[in-house]
Amino acid sequence: MLGRLLLLVIALVVVAAAGLASRFIVDRVTGRDTSDRPPPWRDLNVLSLAAQVLVFGLIVVVGSWLWSNFRDRTDDIGLELTFDFLDQPSGISIADNPLSSNAGIRDALQQGVKNTFLIILLGIPLSVLFGTFIGIARLSTNWLLRKLATGYVEFFRNIPPLLVIVFLWGAVFLNFPIGASPTAEAAWRPFGGWMIFSNNRFAFPSIVGLDNFAAYRLLVVGSIVAAAGVWVWRTRVFNNTGAPHRRALWSVATLVGLCVVFFLVLGGPFEFSKTTVEDRIWSGGFRMQMPYVAVMLALVIYTASHIAEIVRGSILAVHRGQVEASHALALNGLQRYRFVILPQAFRIAFPPLINQFLNYTKNSSLAVAIGFAETTSIISNLFGQSQPAPQLLLILMVIYLAFSLILSAIGNLVNRRLQLRGV
Amino acid sequence: MSVTNSGSGVHDEVSEVSELPPSHRLSPGDWIKQNLFNNWYNSLITAVFIFAIAFALVRTLGWLFSSDFLIIRRNLALFMVGQFPRDELWRSWVSGYLLMGSLGIGSGVLWRSAQAVAEEKGLPTEPHSWPDLLRRFWAIIAVLIFFLSFARTVPPFVGLATVFVAFFISRELGRRFNPAMRTRGLFFAGLLGLLSLLVLAGTGGLGALTVGGLFGAWTLVEVRRYADERGVGAPETIGASRRVRRWHIPYPFKRRVGGILASRVAAAVVFCGVWYGLTSVDLGGFGWDDWGGLHLTLFVTVIGISTGLPVGILLALGRQSDLPVIKSASVIFIEFVRGVPLISLLLFSWLMLPLLFPIDLDIPGPLTRVMIVITAFSAAYIAEIVRGGLQAVPRGQVEAAQASGMSAGKIQRLIVLPQALRAVIPALVGQFISLFKDTSLLTIIGLLDFLETSAVANAQPEFLGQGLVAVTYPFVALGYWAFAYTMSKESRRVEERLGVGVR
Repeated sequence: MLGRLLLLVIALVVVAAAGLASRFIVDRVTGRDTSDRPPPWRDLNVLSLAAQVLVFGLIVVVGSWLWSNFRDRTDDIGLELTFDFLDQPSGISIADNPLSSNAGIRDALQQGVKNTFLIILLGIPLSVLFGTFIGIARLSTNWLLRKLATGYVEFFRNIPPLLVIVFLWGAVFLNFPIGASPTAEAAWRPFGGWMIFSNNRFAFPSIVGLDNFAAYRLLVVGSIVAAAGVWVWRTRVFNNTGAPHRRALWSVATLVGLCVVFFLVLGGPFEFSKTTVEDRIWSGGFRMQMPYVAVMLALVIYTASHIAEIVRGSILAVHRGQVEASHALALNGLQRYRFVILPQAFRIAFPPLINQFLNYTKNSSLAVAIGFAETTSIISNLFGQSQPAPQLLLILMVIYLAFSLILSAIGNLVNRRLQLRGV
Repeated sequence: MSVTNSGSGVHDEVSEVSELPPSHRLSPGDWIKQNLFNNWYNSLITAVFIFAIAFALVRTLGWLFSSDFLIIRRNLALFMVGQFPRDELWRSWVSGYLLMGSLGIGSGVLWRSAQAVAEEKGLPTEPHSWPDLLRRFWAIIAVLIFFLSFARTVPPFVGLATVFVAFFISRELGRRFNPAMRTRGLFFAGLLGLLSLLVLAGTGGLGALTVGGLFGAWTLVEVRRYADERGVGAPETIGASRRVRRWHIPYPFKRRVGGILASRVAAAVVFCGVWYGLTSVDLGGFGWDDWGGLHLTLFVTVIGISTGLPVGILLALGRQSDLPVIKSASVIFIEFVRGVPLISLLLFSWLMLPLLFPIDLDIPGPLTRVMIVITAFSAAYIAEIVRGGLQAVPRGQVEAAQASGMSAGKIQRLIVLPQALRAVIPALVGQFISLFKDTSLLTIIGLLDFLETSAVANAQPEFLGQGLVAVTYPFVALGYWAFAYTMSKESRRVEERLGVGVR
């Protein structure tokens, strides 16, 4: 380190001397009048250049020092700095996943990224929805509702999200009926067995295609297009005549009606599938792992308390005149929120909401605490099998950086569309 | 902004302006009618929630009276101080007294000097009242009393009571400080705080270093004051020609620059001397790798704040700089740290930082490494907050300072930063709260923080596998909540007093 610093000082002196000399030579050659120019140690250009060279040099010196320490230590313990280990068998078996523990580390990592994505995919819309409700409830005229919402926000905003996760998992979900038995006989099966709750899985019915299912899928897409057409038509009618459009009702009716008709015409292209448990294997239906539900739900509960505050602030920030005007138009409470307050409030709320989405994404790494197989927990599993830590850490950070960058890029794009132009 | 109870909207109060404000005293019946049952859906909501609350209350009370809190009574010390040697617990208590003395004197001095400034400017002053202080800190006080109610012996109670008394006495002392002695009072408070650290950590490294540094800084200030009193660097000498200054400055320091330099050299000499002296005296104590529980959580938070703040301010200034190298280095650091989860940084401190130390050097303990990354983490977030404050300082302030001939460093230190930091105090407190909550992640890399104590207690053979996390997690949650809630309340109070965000 000292040697490097000495080198830096020498280099800086050489650079400074060269710079001053070249300045002197250039002045002489071009024959410029230099009488009004400050001396070099007061010249702002020289000073700023010197500061940058100094900082750059320091970064290089410290960086190369750390790198050489790193190489010494890795050579000492015989750690190879390549990414070949990605093809080795991972030795990780992921619950509810066909991936065997002999599959490569690369595949396990892919599965982890997919699971992180699933936490985000379901959690963010849920937390926005829930947070908005709480935020509105905080402004309710109902004293009890208002106080409850305030209590909720003040409680969950002020405890760590990790605590919510481990509590939900360790103190609530683990106490559910045991699911890890040959036929999960202890599990709770409401709705005639169509749903199953246990402490390791949660199952509900799904759709399984039979004959003609491909054709039916096409027809469903066609019905959606038709429903959209009806929506446009009703909007046009409303714009032209002022008659109530009821476009939601119309298009949903179109969609449902067409789907039912096609279902009957094609002779039952699909059926509902029920989850069954045999020999500890859960099959059929749609199954979620309880750790997934715990992480997702806990993060939704935590993030909603933050989103509620944002929504509340944004509602209060909507211009009073707007609310008064909506009173004057005799809109009822729901209409006032739906058509006047919320659209404007969301425009204000969106930039801080992006921040919350980013926090949510980063917090999804807390799943490692209860062992749900998302990115962080798979990588920390690999640490446990003494796979090379530096490379894995790099991969971990790059994955989350990518998630953050993509999410904030999407958010900024949406935000740009959302904001008023020319204001 | 308040919400009225009469209508169903948000901003109804404006639509009902009358000549005289109507009487707001309602009979209980009317109040219930207006606030709970004013229309059909509110009545429905009220009914549903009353049933839900009643159900939850019955269940919670049933649980409270049927459960056994033996796990908390047995492990109270574990929750509070982790594995700290039990026969050395007096260190924690003495450290607590010193810390309370430090906080009391510090807050008292600050209150007194704020009072003096307000009187001087003819601004309304905030009266000092103990009930007010109780109201502001009720959550922490109540939770601490609740925690100690699980103690099986009397001394902890006496201890807690005397700790509070120590705070009261030292605050009263602090309030009697002459406002002109503000700096000295604050240094005294800081000294007590560092002594409290020293009692715990003994002479190991940081304790001695910081106490020595404090003495050094104090000397610096005193010498500088001595120089100032003799006109060195006094305002009237700024701008005078060098010749004039040289002849008007008396002993001990010939020139302004030389005077400051000499005072720094003196400070450094004292610093080294005190450091050497302290490291050669052995007070015993335990390095922080033996600390744990609520104490560790609070300690890591405080360290993260106090080391992250200066680094964060530097990063923010770097990001605002016109120099491309400095700017891009700051931007890359800030955006990288903010883009990855804290867990990955903690894993970095656990697995990667040991590889970055020179091979012939002993690797520092896990908590020291954690503090390095926590500093980087909080600095990156603080930098973004401070940047917001820097952008809010009007350009004219800088231009005016430049016009009056201040140096770049002085402009930042005396003009820009005070205004920028003042504007972002609430946001900074918000960051401190989230750092406090984030310290719970130390659990994941196996450090014995407040959250981890719960797992440790549940792993004891006596309590293993009985589902007692349902008891310990709420207990821990209460601890986290009390501190974070109080901090957020305080930040809101500061926000109101500073008038930040008033539209």
